[in-house]
Amino acid sequence: MADLPKRTSGDFAPAFNQADDTTEVHAPPKETTAVPFRASQLPTYIILTVCGLIGMLPFAWMLSSSLMTLGETINKQWLPSTPQFGNYAEAWQEAEFARYFLNSVIITAVTLTGLLVSSTLAAYAFARIKFPGRNLIFTILLASLMIPETVTFIPNFLLVRGDIIPWGSWFNRLPALTVPFMGSAFSIFLLRQFFARLPQELWDAAQIDGAGHLTFLLRVVIPMSRPVLLTVTLFAFITSWNAFLWPLLVTTDNTWRPLMVGLYNFRNEAGTQTHLLMAASVISIVPVLILYFFTQKQFTEGLATSGLKG
Amino acid sequence: MRLTRRGRTVREALTGYLFILPATILIGVFGLFPIGYSFYMSMYRWRVAKGRFIGLEHYLDSFGSWTAGAAFFGGLALILLAHQLWTSASEPNSDPSKIRFFKLASSFVLLAAGTSVALGWRVLMRDGDDRFWSGLIITLFYAFGTIPLQIILALLIALLLHQKLRGRSLFRIIFFLPYITPLVASAVVFSVIFSRRETSLANSAMTALGLPMQTWLAESSPITKLWGLNLPGLWAGPSLALVSIILFGVWTYVGWNIVVFLAGLADIPKDLYEAAQIDGAGPVANFWHITVPLLSPVTFYLVLLGFIGTFQAFSQLFVMRTPFAQDSVDTASLIIFDSFYRSNNFSLAAAQSIILFLLILGFTLFQQRVLGRKVFYG
Repeated sequence: MADLPKRTSGDFAPAFNQADDTTEVHAPPKETTAVPFRASQLPTYIILTVCGLIGMLPFAWMLSSSLMTLGETINKQWLPSTPQFGNYAEAWQEAEFARYFLNSVIITAVTLTGLLVSSTLAAYAFARIKFPGRNLIFTILLASLMIPETVTFIPNFLLVRGDIIPWGSWFNRLPALTVPFMGSAFSIFLLRQFFARLPQELWDAAQIDGAGHLTFLLRVVIPMSRPVLLTVTLFAFITSWNAFLWPLLVTTDNTWRPLMVGLYNFRNEAGTQTHLLMAASVISIVPVLILYFFTQKQFTEGLATSGLKG
Repeated sequence: MRLTRRGRTVREALTGYLFILPATILIGVFGLFPIGYSFYMSMYRWRVAKGRFIGLEHYLDSFGSWTAGAAFFGGLALILLAHQLWTSASEPNSDPSKIRFFKLASSFVLLAAGTSVALGWRVLMRDGDDRFWSGLIITLFYAFGTIPLQIILALLIALLLHQKLRGRSLFRIIFFLPYITPLVASAVVFSVIFSRRETSLANSAMTALGLPMQTWLAESSPITKLWGLNLPGLWAGPSLALVSIILFGVWTYVGWNIVVFLAGLADIPKDLYEAAQIDGAGPVANFWHITVPLLSPVTFYLVLLGFIGTFQAFSQLFVMRTPFAQDSVDTASLIIFDSFYRSNNFSLAAAQSIILFLLILGFTLFQQRVLGRKVFYG
């Protein structure tokens, strides 16, 4: 139970936090130190290792190729004779990655801020404030999850171009890449489920202290909801970082072009320079991997339990 | 200041509306409004700028004729009706003659539905927008190639992982890694792995296994042809290029399926297995009689999300398609994108997207009604 302090979010009702982690309750005992190795499990280990190696092969190959010389990528070779770390610098320069990287970071940060503010407010209202039409509006918002991007991108293209609402063209400007993604029915759904299960006594106590909804949300609800907020943040981060179709349409120059579109363009320009292309791929994958390694436990659990329960 | 009871309710409601306002406007404008506007656009001539009203012309062009469209989609709806009749026959306390009548009626409806779909399809392909309709079949190839494979593989790995093992969490991280990797980046890597070059990783693996080299993503001929079979048209199955993308899809999404299955497995009460053991059930019986039925909601959820996901898939197909593959990997999403981006025919793209949307919607409802009923919720 070494990671208990991390999970206890805020000072409020730790018992509640535990009750939420249903997977944790049923999961087999933690494999901290003493899981004995049993010979009968040898086939299991072998199968899992083989599958794992096959799964990792593309990564290994990408990493290995990114350190080769051009000649080595053309000849059939598995490992570079001397690692060419200069490839990364070259790819970074040639693909204008410094710019795309910064763009992606800003786009993601702005989108996340907007998404978290709008979703938290809405989820709180849907969970804990009574107003006429609450369930109807919630259902209608959820219906947006059924509509694929292939349907929405055409009208949204015209919207952002200023054809439908005369707000001027947003092309090659930050709002085009962020504002359409700031409303997220999925995030509202996840947060609402969590907020709705907070004990009513907390709100009663807050009211006696004279707190309104906004104070209660900021001081009590948000500190208690760190796990679910983290899940929502990670989802939104991945979606925003990976966005491709939409940025491809609304960026015609590289002022705000994000990393993924930059990588795609570089693929088309780099041609046979596999080593540079692989170095560029590594660069665009690494931030997500770092984030994943720091949060992987909460992330996988959040993914697995979202939408399944309730 | 003391508010009256009524005043408090009104204030409460106003706060609620204020709180949901930003999200509702954002989702309304960018998420819901487009569906109505797409339909509106589809009824005009609209190439970059709006032109004259043309009504349902795009839909008519897509179908070839209204009769063909009606025969095809009506046939699909009839299949649902046949299913409805069949289930009402198997209701518990109805008398045998009634059962026989319903089953007979259901069979006739199904027969009519099949004929109608088949005849409608022929006309759609002959007189209608055959590229779009073959795109739908390619989408189905992609869905049916990816989903069963990734679900079976994920279930097997999840079963193995669901025991006390050393390095269990390490395995979980490893299997999950492909899912977390940005899709465009991994698709770029796979487009090199499955390239037609002799030195590509896929061809190196083939040589190592003593198999002939392939052209992978550059191969437009169907896989059955590579096996020496000669089947006409779409019956020949997906091209090797599409199969390569299917393999990429399985690699990417299997980890997510594993994690969801593991959560499902963790929720199965242990005492069920203990009770079964007392009754003398072996591991195989346990698997079929406890694990499979109790996992069915999870499996259903994965199948449903798999279909929604594969029907919408864009980035990986767009990145991995090569000119050599011709249009053998062009799913409906890619065709819609091409109509919009390459041909600049905004309203055709809008009409096609509406047809795709209705098909996804119908398919989801069908799965929920037909498959969803067979799911065991305990």
